[in-house]
Amino acid sequence: MLNYSLRRLAFAIPTIFALVIFAFYLMRLAPGGPFTSEKPLPPAVMANVLERYGMDEPLYVQLFTYIKNILCCFDFGPSFSQKDRSVNQIIASGFPVTLTYGFWSAVFVLICGIPLGVIAALRHNSFWDYLMTGLAIFSQIFPNFVLAPIMVLLFTLSWGLLPGGGWNGGQWQYIVMPAIGLGTSYMAGVARLTRGSMLEVLNSPFIRTARAKGLPERTIIWRHALKPALLPTLTYMGPVFVYMITGSVFIDVFFSTGGIGQDFIDGAYSRDYSVLLGLAIIYCVLTLSINLVLDLLYAWIDPKVRDAL
Amino acid sequence: MTSAKTHLNSKEFAEQAAEEMITSRSFWADARVRFFKNRMAVVSVFMLLCLVLFAIFGHNFAKWSYEEIDWSILGKIKTEGAPSIANGHYFGLDELGRDMFARVVQGSRTSLLVGFVAGITSVIIGSIIGAMAGYYGGRFDQIVMGMYTIWLAVPYIIFFVVWQAFFGRSLAQLIMVIILVNWTAGLLIVRGQVMMMKNREFVDAARMLGLNDFAIIFRHIAPNVLWVVVIYSSMVVPEVIMMESLVSFLGVGIQEPNTSWGALISEGASTMTFGTLWQLAYPAAFFVIAQVSLYYIGDGLRDALDPKDRR
Repeated sequence: MLNYSLRRLAFAIPTIFALVIFAFYLMRLAPGGPFTSEKPLPPAVMANVLERYGMDEPLYVQLFTYIKNILCCFDFGPSFSQKDRSVNQIIASGFPVTLTYGFWSAVFVLICGIPLGVIAALRHNSFWDYLMTGLAIFSQIFPNFVLAPIMVLLFTLSWGLLPGGGWNGGQWQYIVMPAIGLGTSYMAGVARLTRGSMLEVLNSPFIRTARAKGLPERTIIWRHALKPALLPTLTYMGPVFVYMITGSVFIDVFFSTGGIGQDFIDGAYSRDYSVLLGLAIIYCVLTLSINLVLDLLYAWIDPKVRDAL
Repeated sequence: MTSAKTHLNSKEFAEQAAEEMITSRSFWADARVRFFKNRMAVVSVFMLLCLVLFAIFGHNFAKWSYEEIDWSILGKIKTEGAPSIANGHYFGLDELGRDMFARVVQGSRTSLLVGFVAGITSVIIGSIIGAMAGYYGGRFDQIVMGMYTIWLAVPYIIFFVVWQAFFGRSLAQLIMVIILVNWTAGLLIVRGQVMMMKNREFVDAARMLGLNDFAIIFRHIAPNVLWVVVIYSSMVVPEVIMMESLVSFLGVGIQEPNTSWGALISEGASTMTFGTLWQLAYPAAFFVIAQVSLYYIGDGLRDALDPKDRR
């Protein structure tokens, strides 16, 4: 187990480095940049600006300084376009927002998705089953950028129940629509997956044995069927949580929550490569570490995988 | 009274069996029959065909082009810009006084084109790389899987931004970025299938015949994993349409005056507070119809092709 963890970690670290180097070169080599404007700066001023941001040195030196600053002081450097803010400050202001509603969205996904899937499997071909299938189709055809305007139209413009955007320190009214808008399609995914694996488990021999022993249905479901049935859902939730945080770009822009996605798009518009690079690294580290944790969790829970290690 | 049908003698039985042998169906013919038995899938194919025809020939029915501004109504769009047959704006006008019908036609064209071209190309590329990784294994496989992990960890919007900084913005470039972002589609599943298949007897036999790796992969293994690729394509095409719409919504996708469903929905959503709902409703409706059809087509293909579901 320890061996396996170390091996996975040993793979994750070079991956991050490869990404940093790849993204760094890609962005520095892209033509144009934050300092190109319609009226070009005088060469002397330009040279000063480049020196100020350390961009007059050769690329590999810049890369080395960049990595060194991240490793020693967790410093992602200054933002190119927002003069008085560093990338660290931008991340620090946006990340908690995204994480907050991302967390609630994940809660929404699990709390609604798993019971729906389990019920659909237990009442196979019943109303609940059809409701769930309908929901899965619904969420596929209404991605968040169609769903969010419709929600705003209903809840804000027609009924005036919820604010149509903003954050306001994270009051619950401001979290509801971003969390639902972000989570719906994943909720349906979780429900569909849970339904499938639950059906498979319910038809397996050990459940038949449990039934033959005369265990009550409740015990069979809660103690025997649920745990193996939820394993695929667990694997699914890792990437989903990451997608939620990366996919939140749309939610941040649409609901102007001030989350990290907004900075990402602003950075993209103004070619603020230091912000983009910093965010890309954060996303990447997050993805890899969540996947790592989940894989370890999976190995710990599933005896088949655990014994194979 | 006995009919010849119910009491077959041995000769008739043999004849019937022989006839059945002649008309016995291949895997694909079998799948086709099963697909066309699925009513929702057939209806969806029909709907999608209608959409494609609309995208190709729709501009013949438009009285305005998609970039033309109707100056006579501009400025009173809220009151007079609503859909009407009389002034030739069947779907109304957008915020800048352009004909929504022509714009929806143009948007459908872009979205469908991008979806099918980029979606299918990326699945093909991903499948070829996946098949090679699965077949060769070892170092090559490790490199491909490493790339795959990194690729999934990078937020894809970066690719759109950086690629367009390098090569400019156009429809062709957009399609290329989407392929670049999605080359991992179908990779894992084909790799797994090929890994399972490469130790089977027919591959050994092909190798024994002295065929090279290329021929083994493409002539002997590929036909056996084609069904996976077909199913996967049917899932990736709507995803790509969605991705294109999302990036266009965010403003890093298609560029004005060209448009797509996502860009139109974005414009419609931004003017929704003024009560000009038709600007949101028409593109959203087309988008939803396309997604529903593609969903059911994908479902039908899965039912028709997946050997696990064979009944």
